[in-house]
Amino acid sequence: MNDTVLEVQDLHKTYGKTAALQGATFSVQAGSCFGLLGPNGAGKSTTMKVLTGIIQPDRGETRVLGLRPDREPGAVRKRIGYVPQEITLYDKLSARDNLAFFGELYGVPRAQLPQRIREVLRQIGLENRGGDLVGSFSGGMKRRVNIAAALLHHPQLLILDEPTVGIDPQSRNHIFGIIRSLKQDGVTVIYSTHYMEEVESLCDHLAILDHGRVIAEGSLHDVLALQTGQAVYVEFDAASASRPLPSLPGVRRTTSQGGGFLLETDDPVQCIRALLDWAAGQAVNLCAIEMVRPSLESVFLSLTGTNLRD
Amino acid sequence: MLSIVRKELKLLLKGKGNFFFLILMPMIFICLFGSVFSSVGKSTVKVNYVDLDHTATSQQFVHAIGQVKGFALRAQPSSNLTSDIQQVADGKLDSLLVIPSGFGTTLRAGEKPAELRFYVDPTAASVTGPIESVVNEIANQYQTKRVAAALAATGAGPAKVQRILQPSVQVQEIQRIGNQPSSFNMVDQVVPGYTVMFAFFILMSMMRSFIGEKESGMLTRLLSTPLRPLAYLVGMWIPSLIAVLVQCVVLLGFGHAVYGVHLGDLGAMAAVVLCLGICGTGIGLAISLLVRGENQGRSISMLISIGGAAVGGLWLPTQLMPHAVQVIGRVTPQYWAQQAFQNVMMRSAHIGDIWQSLAILLAFGAAGLLVAVWRFPHFVRSATH
Repeated sequence: MNDTVLEVQDLHKTYGKTAALQGATFSVQAGSCFGLLGPNGAGKSTTMKVLTGIIQPDRGETRVLGLRPDREPGAVRKRIGYVPQEITLYDKLSARDNLAFFGELYGVPRAQLPQRIREVLRQIGLENRGGDLVGSFSGGMKRRVNIAAALLHHPQLLILDEPTVGIDPQSRNHIFGIIRSLKQDGVTVIYSTHYMEEVESLCDHLAILDHGRVIAEGSLHDVLALQTGQAVYVEFDAASASRPLPSLPGVRRTTSQGGGFLLETDDPVQCIRALLDWAAGQAVNLCAIEMVRPSLESVFLSLTGTNLRD
Repeated sequence: MLSIVRKELKLLLKGKGNFFFLILMPMIFICLFGSVFSSVGKSTVKVNYVDLDHTATSQQFVHAIGQVKGFALRAQPSSNLTSDIQQVADGKLDSLLVIPSGFGTTLRAGEKPAELRFYVDPTAASVTGPIESVVNEIANQYQTKRVAAALAATGAGPAKVQRILQPSVQVQEIQRIGNQPSSFNMVDQVVPGYTVMFAFFILMSMMRSFIGEKESGMLTRLLSTPLRPLAYLVGMWIPSLIAVLVQCVVLLGFGHAVYGVHLGDLGAMAAVVLCLGICGTGIGLAISLLVRGENQGRSISMLISIGGAAVGGLWLPTQLMPHAVQVIGRVTPQYWAQQAFQNVMMRSAHIGDIWQSLAILLAFGAAGLLVAVWRFPHFVRSATH
């Protein structure tokens, strides 16, 4: 299961004067869930549209399941499923009619289509709502049908572009369940998001995209390891909020975060001890003091100097 | 492509607004204008009069007016004369013919003209003009009788008198040249006119559909499937064409069933409907792919469908319009569609007789389709970027 199903090499794409992709390069292994993480405007959606052959890159090469989307778009599209960021369903049609429409487009044989529609409706937990108009569904239910429309033809590769935007936690968990189940069935998933916790929860490999470039790529463990140091988070009460932090031993960098400070250090225990001593001596009341484990947020922060959601 | 066709037809059928917009509204317009115009020419002109003379001569004069077809007498009491004149001044009464006392005596004496007073509302000239003409015509008959009596008194025999008094010029009206209709009813204008006008309302529906698919991201998603772009374009076009064909059949059938409009050669009618459908949807496809947004599309669609209807002779026979408008009208597809329909319905024309109109409609449609094919890659780019 270590075959490469997707290779992206030095991808460039410009819209007018805006460079959406500036040499993006990454690869995806078969059967994995690959996270494409980055802030809005990083180039995630453009990358996905290039992968599906919807748009052509200005430069660079892409191979999807061994095929070039720019040269064999039809063959690629038969093997992949693409779920765009927008909910692209017809509100005036039932869920079943919407799925039948997409099934026909993907070439699912007519004789098998009703059965496939029943299967995917069951897969997304809406087997009893197939006849209802999509317009009557909640946002989360629409998102699930939006995904189901890309599953009817048993794609080898499923590309999801921010599939959980604006939905409730229950629907989000349901979508996570669908993705895990697909992964178990051997489907390779590319999951684009700007929610780090989603990547941490779902993906075993990822690439962090910023300003059209991949700034980190690898397994979740490898990427987290990019932030070698650890950190301590400290927050004062309102009366002491204006007190400047002293210079503490072993602290490499101090940045303000939320209502407090993040102190990067190789020895968090010593840092906490020093902080407590200083606070006791200066009569400063601490609201919070905790060790911070490495996260994709902190990796992104350390690589770009900005927060992911900025 | 069939998937797109099926989907679009389902959406067309599910959209209650479409049924109202494309079928019900034109029917209402046909009923409305059919009722208004079908009464034109059948209504009578009411002649309000006050006879202050009360002689046999004045009664004979009034009776002569009442005998004219299309005119009905309405006697007003002489006691209300002042208020009736005031009503004419206020525009509440179109006109009032007053026969003054002594009218009969003066007329019989023949020494001087017998006077009549005709009070008119200048804003109601279309009604008062014909009354004045009839009154003058009857007055002329009195004059003719006096001349005849004078000639007879000089010893001229009846034949000579008749020869002298006969008109110098006689106009003979000749109708039914070739396939000319025996008569014209405004319903023959209204039914095909509103059928053609509302056929062009498909522009709006097509534009909304295309812009909606583009802006919702649906087009981008469809392009990620094995669907070919040209199949998408054709798939979106065919349901609109079917909608126009059904719309025309329903509206013409409605006109035939309700107003008894003669449909003529059904084969020729089918050809006109098909060419009109291709023309309207071809232009609709071009507009849908050319406009930048729904607001722009709505304005252009309204301009083409309503403006074209106005100058193309769908509301009024082109002969009633100013010359410049008639010339402009001839470059609109609506004009040629209306001509084709009316020639088939009223002049018993067949396909061979209306080929020019059919060719022009097809040319408009083909031009629209070509523009759409040329413009489609740009439309796709603007949707996906």
